[in-house]
Amino acid sequence: MKCITLALAATLVSVTAALAHSKAEDTTPADGTTVETVAVIELRFDDPMRVTAIKVTGPDGDLDITRETGLNPVTAFRALPPDVIPAGAYTVDWRGLSADGHPMQGTFGFTVED
Amino acid sequence: MEGLAPIDAWALLAILAKAAGYAAALVAMGGPLFVAAFRSGPDDVLRLARRLSVVAAAIGLAVLALRFGVRSARISGMGLAGAVDPMMLSLVWDSPLGTAALWRGVGELLIVAVLIEGTLGLAVSLLGALVVAGSFTLIGHSLGDPRWLLAGLVGAHLLAAAFWVGALAPLHRAAGRTVGANLLHRFGTIASWTVPVLIVVGLTFAWLMIGSPGGLFGAAYGWTLIAKLVLVTGLLGLAARNRLRLVPALASGDPSGSDRLRRSIRKEIFAVTLILLVTATLTLVTTPPVNL
Repeated sequence: MKCITLALAATLVSVTAALAHSKAEDTTPADGTTVETVAVIELRFDDPMRVTAIKVTGPDGDLDITRETGLNPVTAFRALPPDVIPAGAYTVDWRGLSADGHPMQGTFGFTVED
Repeated sequence: MEGLAPIDAWALLAILAKAAGYAAALVAMGGPLFVAAFRSGPDDVLRLARRLSVVAAAIGLAVLALRFGVRSARISGMGLAGAVDPMMLSLVWDSPLGTAALWRGVGELLIVAVLIEGTLGLAVSLLGALVVAGSFTLIGHSLGDPRWLLAGLVGAHLLAAAFWVGALAPLHRAAGRTVGANLLHRFGTIASWTVPVLIVVGLTFAWLMIGSPGGLFGAAYGWTLIAKLVLVTGLLGLAARNRLRLVPALASGDPSGSDRLRRSIRKEIFAVTLILLVTATLTLVTTPPVNL
């Protein structure tokens, strides 16, 4: 019994940050930054994420982006914006399914200067 | 608040559907467990347990279908159109929810065998209850590390909860007369073993998700868990009062014993409903501190 208790205690103590949810660790452009131009929109996750929807909204409404990453689970998602982006504030809204089946969503914003 | 997902109408619908799915699964699993524990109980009480179990299994299957649509809507960001979008539905099917739904559906179908009186029907339905409990270990936080410990804790938590939740309506029926006191007393004796298991495995799982005492107060997960613990404490208070005062009063032929006990069991059902809603909130829109 004592051995079992010790084994259980050892297992509990050795628990590290478990998988479960993957989240957007960081993005390109970074949240809240001001940039001159946007070559790529990138979301990086700590665990594979299936990005099921992504929308970039700017001063002229929704931006027409091209997904480079498909619907497969990835730790780095990429989408390409049009060559010319009007100056102004942009918001990126994304939704996805994490590896453990949780529906996930997130938002970040950046500003494109004149 | 940290670790709280945005809550829109679809997230609220997801929480309601998930809580309904919990209730259906627990009542469906609880039927065979009740029949197994009280095979010599009054016929009408056992019949109620069997019927409720089968109705709950059917509702559980319908709720599974609803949850697929709701999840599809949520990941698509397209609302109702997303709920029936074949591409989004196929992604949900490929996710752990698809695997869990498959096993839960199989388990709920096996549980229908509880209608067949005799050992074989009971054995098949008990297998169904085990499969349903197992299905909850194939999705969500129990997929983390250490995998087998988390899955074992979730499975044991579900079975112990099902024994309690599935028994509430049959016990309410049994409390209608003095002869039911015997069954209620025996339930209390078994529950004095299963309820501590329910609580210990639940707290162990919660501790693994929280990681440190500070995690309890820092994020949405911790506060939702505290709400659940407060409700569970209230439920335990009701259960203790039933076991120590109201069941003995019913057994002694106290004329008000039956009404008081039935009222108390209805309060338990209400408390369980709130606990399931909080649990659905906890597992759907909050992130465990160990993952933040």
